[in-house]
Amino acid sequence: MEFLTPFKIAFSLLLAADPELMGIIRLSMLISLSAVACSLAIGLPVGALLASMKFPGRQAIIILSNTLLSMPPVVVGLIIYILVSQSGPLGWTNILYTPYAMALAQTVLVLPISIALSRQVFETLNGEYDRLFISLGISRWQRIKTLVFDARVALVTIALACFGRAISEVGAVIIVGGNIRHVSRVMTTTIALETSKGELGIAMALGIVLLSIALLVNVASQFISAHFKKAGLDV
Amino acid sequence: MSDHARHNTGIVTATHVSFRADSQTLLNDISLHIGRGTITMVLGHNGAGKTLLLSALHGLIAPQTGKISGPVRDKQKMVFQKPVLLRRSARDYFKFLCPGLDDATTESWFEKAQMDTRLSTPARQLSGGESQKLALIGALASQPDLLFLDEPTAHLDFESIRFIETQITDAHKSGTSIVMTSHNRAQAERLAEQIIFMENGKIVETADAKTFFSAPKTDAAKIYLNHY
Repeated sequence: MEFLTPFKIAFSLLLAADPELMGIIRLSMLISLSAVACSLAIGLPVGALLASMKFPGRQAIIILSNTLLSMPPVVVGLIIYILVSQSGPLGWTNILYTPYAMALAQTVLVLPISIALSRQVFETLNGEYDRLFISLGISRWQRIKTLVFDARVALVTIALACFGRAISEVGAVIIVGGNIRHVSRVMTTTIALETSKGELGIAMALGIVLLSIALLVNVASQFISAHFKKAGLDV
Repeated sequence: MSDHARHNTGIVTATHVSFRADSQTLLNDISLHIGRGTITMVLGHNGAGKTLLLSALHGLIAPQTGKISGPVRDKQKMVFQKPVLLRRSARDYFKFLCPGLDDATTESWFEKAQMDTRLSTPARQLSGGESQKLALIGALASQPDLLFLDEPTAHLDFESIRFIETQITDAHKSGTSIVMTSHNRAQAERLAEQIIFMENGKIVETADAKTFFSAPKTDAAKIYLNHY
């Protein structure tokens, strides 16, 4: 095969909006966006809590979430597999080899990122705002709400970082999703499969989409940071 | 109520308050009584403990020993030397400082401060004078019984200083007790009724303002007044 052939096939598939290709892209986006939403919904309050309050077990949670940052995706996939397989404690959910299990695995993978990054942002803000909060005598809940609202720009950047990590994940989702055609096949798992079959055209097409998404995420992140820094809303 | 009776009714009382940090005594056995409805000025060189004293009286720091009594939390406010500005518009920041105010009242305070064109400006983009005025009106709008002001006019232009001093005088007339620090002797002479003079974390002299400026009792106060 000529060096440029996969590129030619890739562009023709993308330009023709190949239905199978579009389905894979749609499913990938859906799973990763769901995982990011779940990880932010859990991670942001936890990050704010860790940054603004001292309580027993706080240090243990910080160490655990920092450790999970470097957890290999295949290990996460294995753990989720054991949990949701028929004999596992979550076997009753019947989500193994479905997009739900894949979203769960991605959530577990990006949750430590959302906790660690948001904790850093909230710690900076809390240090800056602390005397005002004490002076006004505001409640803990209002403190967390204020921190989350005022960190909104940084949180968009954190969400983009989480999305970048989730969309490019392959090890965990191939274990719990099974890479089943029309059911649980996403961009990264398809690239792995098609490359092993020698079908480099479709693999390259999805590679181009993934790279484009990475580029968009970075451009958006830079644009948002620059825009809000100018408006004095950055952290 | 006569001036004498007013001063005898305390708004803040501190008894044998000491605060230590990094094995240094930063507030040393402070006892004081601040009269209701007065303007009390805390004077002293840099590092004398003025800001720390205000922070302790307002409850921002917890002294290791001693007792402080004052109004409940929502009846006392503090304006910091460098305002803590949230990442939101000036209007939203003002509403954060005094929640529950309607839009018309909010806008009237901004007009009073000649900042009605700055309602939508991000608070952190305001100038030093504007942000200090915003912090002050945010504190005053909730009509506190007690207001702590930590060098509220430091590094500000004449117009901002005049506005802030007018607001302090008006708040005082409507019954707010004010405790403030300043390095500006002329300002202290214009505003203060009572003086607390500090050195090295201790109160070395308390007096009514006229007596303090005309005939200070301690050598430390005499030296201080010669410098300012």
